[in-house]
Amino acid sequence: MASRPLRKSPLEPQSAEAPQQLSLAVPPAGSPPPQGPVAHGEPAAALRELWLGVHLPQPDPALLQRLALLAQRFTPRVSLEPPDGLVLEVQGSLALFGGAVQLYRAFRAGCNAAGAAPVLTLAPTPLAALASGRAGMSFKVLDQQHLVSAVSPLPLAALRWPPQVLQRLSKLGVYRVGQALRLPRAGFARRFGTETLGMLDQLIARSADLRAPFRVPEKFRAKRQFVREREHHAEILQALQPLLAQLAQFLEARQCGITRITCRLRHRNGLHTDCVVRLAQPEAAAARFMEWFAERLGRIALPGPVRSLELRSGELLSRAPVPESLWQPGEHGGGGDGLLGGSLELIERLRMRLGELAVHGLSCVDSHSPEGASRPVSPLAADFRRTAAAARKERSREHKVRPLWLLDEPQLLREREGWPQLAGPLCLRHGPERIESHWWEAQGVARDYYQATDVNGVAVWVFRERQPPHRWFLHGLTG
Amino acid sequence: MNVLARLLEHPGIWRGRSLTRIDTLASGFPELDARLAGGGWPKVGLVEILATHLGSGELRLLLPLLARTTHQSQARWCAWIAPPLTPYAPALVAHGVNLARVLVVQAATGPQWAPEWATEQALISGACDVVLTWITRPLRPRIVRRLQLATQRGRTLAFLLRPWSARVAQEPSHALLRLGIEPRGTGVLVSILKSRGGATGQWWLDLDAARADTGV
Repeated sequence: MASRPLRKSPLEPQSAEAPQQLSLAVPPAGSPPPQGPVAHGEPAAALRELWLGVHLPQPDPALLQRLALLAQRFTPRVSLEPPDGLVLEVQGSLALFGGAVQLYRAFRAGCNAAGAAPVLTLAPTPLAALASGRAGMSFKVLDQQHLVSAVSPLPLAALRWPPQVLQRLSKLGVYRVGQALRLPRAGFARRFGTETLGMLDQLIARSADLRAPFRVPEKFRAKRQFVREREHHAEILQALQPLLAQLAQFLEARQCGITRITCRLRHRNGLHTDCVVRLAQPEAAAARFMEWFAERLGRIALPGPVRSLELRSGELLSRAPVPESLWQPGEHGGGGDGLLGGSLELIERLRMRLGELAVHGLSCVDSHSPEGASRPVSPLAADFRRTAAAARKERSREHKVRPLWLLDEPQLLREREGWPQLAGPLCLRHGPERIESHWWEAQGVARDYYQATDVNGVAVWVFRERQPPHRWFLHGLTG
Repeated sequence: MNVLARLLEHPGIWRGRSLTRIDTLASGFPELDARLAGGGWPKVGLVEILATHLGSGELRLLLPLLARTTHQSQARWCAWIAPPLTPYAPALVAHGVNLARVLVVQAATGPQWAPEWATEQALISGACDVVLTWITRPLRPRIVRRLQLATQRGRTLAFLLRPWSARVAQEPSHALLRLGIEPRGTGVLVSILKSRGGATGQWWLDLDAARADTGV
């Protein structure tokens, strides 16, 4: 803002000449004079601004993000107007691009390259730029003095006021911005709200329009080139340490954590190896990163010596400070809530070496077939605790004996004279308990379950098919 | 007698039974509690359970304990490491185990997968109340000792479930307690093979007795 030149042309409204500025809002012919002194904040900033409005005909948040990134090349002052709008202040960049027309063309070319065909508008206020884009008008107003006459034909719907307000205005026969501007201010504020009036003021630069700037998502990147090639994991890890320390500082300064870090190890001949670490929760401690990379790197077979390494962070996530327990685990009250601190660390450490699927929790599912009633779930899943609570409720209903161990696949049992055999004849103790699935289910289950003991005295859970050939299967162990 | 009592108060004299002043957790089987040192499972330490077959009743022996520890207000994880088959959730729920505290660690057999390692990690993390580990292959006594030490670090109770063979039974054990389990009718034949500060012995335990006692 400060670098922008303050040019004073006689045509330009200036804060010192308040009456002239006010008259700008009032169309010259047949309009009521402004109602006394405008009791509405400061007069508009005397700074010249030029806003480039981008309107997507189809709302597309992802495309909008891409265009916002593109807009960073033109100006640092970009703000999003979700879901379909974007405004950028380009007055300060005009000299660089050689004028508004060249800048406009350059931006359009950029949009086309990104595969977008938005409506582009130029206006001295962001709201005018957005509203004209929404109205689908090709709108290029560079000067504030033409602003009022240019926005007057815009439909009020383009301002996205609440439907009730628009409806009441339509009852008065007011459909266009120009008509609304002609209404007395005090009455307008009383009937349609000060916010609505404030938007009108912002539209014609009578009051300042402050917008939250768009911030580019930050990522951490660091590179390290080796003087001599490194071959051993320990050496690579040692070289990685300062980078990880930098990363930790970077995260600490932003009070963020990350759940994904990639380390790219470059070899000769353009080859590279990626070592990716994924974490269960946002983390920011260098010692932890180090531990995990030691674990990961130790298992990667490198195709050759490493010439350089590059560390890239994933998306930064906000990180709640880890609540540390006052007591040591095992002391009275120690250990804290089971899903905090050490318990997550344990899961991460196990997963780091054994893989994501190796560590899981259990949950009950309502299912007729015994196989479907138990399901592995992620111990970190949000719904895990809920299903656990549901299971507790179910506990009161559950009376039937179920095996503690269930075989993944029922095991076919031999038969001798009609008796199922498992290292000797089985002795059926209780049963049958008939378990049938719904007939409309494709993989139908129709079985008679028995509790039995084998010759060793081990309690087992077996079933006999109800349909021929009436085979016997071992399905679980009750012990 | 009086002289003997005074002599035993001497600080240099330690009696075996004095080691039994350890924190214990009720097993849920009054008969078992009566015979274990301190009147229950140790709160911290390694317990070896040797079962003749998988499903001999070794798990049912532990279920009342698991039910109680997982329902504590500040319960930590109950980790099942390398279970030989998939634990069946509805049965655990029926026995009163809180599934929200159950963590199963199972990996495809490979060079990376060592249940001993996962057990040690779970023990020293201090994030578990109870760790159950199934290891079928022979274990060197050094590893058992290491796990016993890890239980002290994380203040955790660990059960090491192993097949009962003549060879294993003869190995020296660093565990606090070593039990042998044999299925027999509706219960199990429990043999205390080793008990630090307790007595050895063998008797028949009715597993259905737990239900009436704990109300599970």
